[in-house]
Amino acid sequence: MNALPWLIITPLFGAFSMPILGLLGRKVREYWAVIISGFTFAIAARIFYSIWRSNEILLYTLGDVSPIGEGVKFPIRIIWEVDLFGALLALTVAFVSFLAIVYSLGYMKEDSGLDKYYTLVLVLELGMLGIVITGDIFNFYVFIEIMSIASYVLVAFRNDTWEGIEAGIKYMFVGSLASSFILLGIALLYGQYGTLTMAYLAVKIAENPTLVSRVALAFLIGGLLFKSGAVPVHMWLSDAHPAAPSSISAMLSGLVIKVGGVYAIARIIFGIFNPGLHEYLKVFGAPSIGVNTLGWAIIFFGCLTLIVGNAMAVIQTDMKRLFAFSSVGQIGYILLGIGIGVVAYGEKAGEIALTGAVYHIVNHAVIKALLFFVAGAVIHQVGTKNLNELSGLARRMPFTTLSFLIGAAAIIGLPPLNGFASKWLIYESSAMYNPILAVIAVIGTVFSLAAYTRVLFTFLGIESERVKTAREPGKTMLIPMLLLMLVIILMGLLPWQINEKVMLPVAKMLEQLKGEYIMALVKFVGGV
Amino acid sequence: MKTTFGALSLLFMLGVLLVVANPNYGLQFGLGGEEWQKYRYTDQYYIDHGVEEVGGTNIVTDIVFDYRGYDTLGEATVLFTSIAGAIALLRKWREEE
Repeated sequence: MNALPWLIITPLFGAFSMPILGLLGRKVREYWAVIISGFTFAIAARIFYSIWRSNEILLYTLGDVSPIGEGVKFPIRIIWEVDLFGALLALTVAFVSFLAIVYSLGYMKEDSGLDKYYTLVLVLELGMLGIVITGDIFNFYVFIEIMSIASYVLVAFRNDTWEGIEAGIKYMFVGSLASSFILLGIALLYGQYGTLTMAYLAVKIAENPTLVSRVALAFLIGGLLFKSGAVPVHMWLSDAHPAAPSSISAMLSGLVIKVGGVYAIARIIFGIFNPGLHEYLKVFGAPSIGVNTLGWAIIFFGCLTLIVGNAMAVIQTDMKRLFAFSSVGQIGYILLGIGIGVVAYGEKAGEIALTGAVYHIVNHAVIKALLFFVAGAVIHQVGTKNLNELSGLARRMPFTTLSFLIGAAAIIGLPPLNGFASKWLIYESSAMYNPILAVIAVIGTVFSLAAYTRVLFTFLGIESERVKTAREPGKTMLIPMLLLMLVIILMGLLPWQINEKVMLPVAKMLEQLKGEYIMALVKFVGGV
Repeated sequence: MKTTFGALSLLFMLGVLLVVANPNYGLQFGLGGEEWQKYRYTDQYYIDHGVEEVGGTNIVTDIVFDYRGYDTLGEATVLFTSIAGAIALLRKWREEE
């Protein structure tokens, strides 16, 4: 039996049944959310495993056995096209969302309106899963909207705090603008090419790369850079992440900016505007899209992002704001990896960079979720996130401090932890491609090191009045942190094995040197 | 400074979109005949096969509920989310402890 539809059905059913089951009381509601998200995680793991083992792109047509219409040669239905990259992201999304929901049981205990909260968290998870599995560009937009609307609300969920509402409004205005850019891009593509299926759009664009397709690409990438929090347009992120409840910050920072931003950029570049296809066209002197320009634009924004994001993290006094800026910085590394993957397409450096970018997406999702869980535990137990008031937390909250230590060491990229391998791949490839890029990447890491060392010293300092009465949080908050720590350490102990067995195939399938993404669809046509 | 830059980039975007909307360089409007087949082949398919494949005589509902029913499900979810969100954000503030 094909498990793929259940990846959408389960959270959708969970979210839509929550208002009714919520009537049965608080405990039922919480157990239901945990069960649904746990089940989704199991399904995602199964899908990932089956795709990883067969190493083939899974194509599923909604409503028919074949996406191709009767007697014609083009797709007429919505398809899901899941390659390893999509499946890996689905797995990460389901894992972190599950832990965030378990964490919310303890963390959100004092808040009101929790039936809506769990509904919205499940919808957020649904939106992200929908984005990573879809193969249809309008459907991609619909799920980006689902994800965005749920996250606008969750950022402003604490409606009695001024910062929540302010950040929510800012996020909503910026996010809606970005969404409308994306929709405009899609409308232009449809007007020019008459199809919405990504793989078929790739064929059509390669046949006739017009000005319209370039403009549409610019709008799509521009909108998605907003969503991923790249530097000139990162201001919403640094407000939204600190203001949201910490369980939500973990999901926003670990997942939303990756799935709605970086994943989508990579998918649109490699799936629709495949660099290989256009390089090939160029060889024959046919009109093609200059993917090098695109790659350099992404590298430029990546470098800007990793310098500014990490540098701004150093001067923050608010712990969650610091983590938010650090997220901006880490997005810079991922963009740098993707950018090099585009400009050095088909070369060794490009493949390593893409592997590093994919690896870093997963690593950063896990690490940043842990760090925001730590911040949440501190806020929940001590009641402040101002770093100047938090000194000497290590004696009162040793487990939380240990989690922070591991998370911080991993995000800087210290060798026994998982951040090392992914950053190493990005450094290595940028050094191979252009040493200046490697220097910029290392400067970013130096800033990041400075920022986290500062927080660490705060944790280890002399005990302040404020923390004297602090205690460790409850089990539901500690267990997700423990699990994330274990994942970080385990992934850190087997970095090159994971790279070899998982990340390299993922990057290869994303890069699709032979146009596998298109072929998965085209093979249904038969004889073409 | 910022406002000027913003206004200039908006102007630039408007210019680009006007070029794109010009039939000599970009999108075609009022398609017919051969061009209809070239640019709107999917639509033609829905018109030709909608009635027999789906059964409804209204093409739009055929597309929205059958061929692209999953998008409609997504739109319903968007609506559901917005309502849940509006209710969640307009709830009473927590009591002071």
